[in-house]
Amino acid sequence: MSAPHERRAAVTGIGVVAPNGTSTETFWKATREGLNVLDRVTREGCGHLPLKVAGEVRAFEPSAAVEERYLVQTDRFTHFGMAAADLALEDARLGQADIAEAPFSAGVVTAAGSGGGEFGQRELQKLWGKGSRFVGPWQSIAWFYAASTGQISIRRGLKGPCSVVAADEAGGLDALAHAARAVHRGTDVIVAGSTEAPLAPYSMVCQLGYPELSRVEDPERAYRPFTDQACGFVPAEGGAMLVVEEAAAARERGVPVRAFVAGHASTFTGASCWERSRQGLAEAIRGALADARCAPEEVDVVFADALGVPEADRAEALAIADALGARGRRVPVTAPKTGTGRGYCAAPVLDAAAAVLAMEHDLIPPTPNVFDVCHDLDLVTHRARAAQVRTALVLSRGLMGSNSALVLRHGAAGAS
Amino acid sequence: MSDRITVEELSELMKKTAGITVSPQELRDRPDTAFEEFGIDSLGLLGIVGELENRHGTAMPVDAERCKTPREFLALVNSSLLAGA
Repeated sequence: MSAPHERRAAVTGIGVVAPNGTSTETFWKATREGLNVLDRVTREGCGHLPLKVAGEVRAFEPSAAVEERYLVQTDRFTHFGMAAADLALEDARLGQADIAEAPFSAGVVTAAGSGGGEFGQRELQKLWGKGSRFVGPWQSIAWFYAASTGQISIRRGLKGPCSVVAADEAGGLDALAHAARAVHRGTDVIVAGSTEAPLAPYSMVCQLGYPELSRVEDPERAYRPFTDQACGFVPAEGGAMLVVEEAAAARERGVPVRAFVAGHASTFTGASCWERSRQGLAEAIRGALADARCAPEEVDVVFADALGVPEADRAEALAIADALGARGRRVPVTAPKTGTGRGYCAAPVLDAAAAVLAMEHDLIPPTPNVFDVCHDLDLVTHRARAAQVRTALVLSRGLMGSNSALVLRHGAAGAS
Repeated sequence: MSDRITVEELSELMKKTAGITVSPQELRDRPDTAFEEFGIDSLGLLGIVGELENRHGTAMPVDAERCKTPREFLALVNSSLLAGA
């Protein structure tokens, strides 16, 4: 994503609240080791539903992460968002005083596909159980997709450009791209990413209609993309926020550039039209590479969408081959989300976080629970693979038909 | 339940409906401090008014949710409850 004034969008902070870790350190350790944390759903009121396995964020204590007013006024997905934003800002060494110095040059972009379902359900039960006078005023904010952006902005005093991508899974990557564009246009700091909380009764019922949802009850067999055992995807909660910052501004502050958001493109091929997603995803990859001025040979790793539906897996494998040519058959591909589940918009943001960490550690994390790959892909399985990673390609497709690709470059990548 | 709203009840409502903890003593000591300063914004006050209406089974004056301070708010809602009693 080049800009006229050569403003470059860098990642300077990572904040993770994921099923496999509620700090970047624990997340990376679990991801690197290929830990599977998919497990039986234990969230209240969900036990009787025919969706038995998910990625829950069990180590998260909302009251330790956010103030009481936000516990009362916002949904769990916003609690995750606030906690992840705090971690990302701390990681980027941006304190309240730094933000207060230039509040209009710091904004928020989030993506949401699920919204505040738990909060919404509670208020709707009051509406139908007791009457409209018993619905609290926070319902007017808390369950909407935009809630996390607004509340993070208010809580941290981020008064610059704020926006929300209400979308399917691919929206997570689109939010990061939107943040990069805001940086190109003149904003120095954008807190960007996605957190979701779809593991509550109402939200779970909404998902039961997805034919792509895995109904397998064994956590180790429920989500195995790219194998002939593929039986759908497993949902998850949590997510990640990144600090996307103008590179020169970061250097001026003495904060290291951890990666560059180098290129992005997205396409749309229709809900559940997985065969057609081949063409759409390939086009998104080509667009993102062109945007990043990146040749296919430069791609060191692909973080796959890995839906776990045979037709979709085939389309993705073919899209990678179509767009990367000869490189497509040799490039290492990974899908760490098989160990944590797919947190809708949050899933590709966690992948982007993992991609930055992979570049920093020269280590490609593996794809948990996946062993016998039945596609022409070099999928990293069993254990992490040491490799120099300078350029990462992150892919995401949504159940509603979006296909997005994001190119991340190593923090030491040249100014060209 | 008393027909008069006390600082104790207001303190409890602020905590329950908006998640803001301010002790009754503090409300007594600083009755002219703006709700905004305590962390109660317009939606917060709207929630308190709604809860009071449900508890007392009567509508509060339309200006109740526009009150700026605890003193102003208690005076208005209590005069309204007294008039309705």
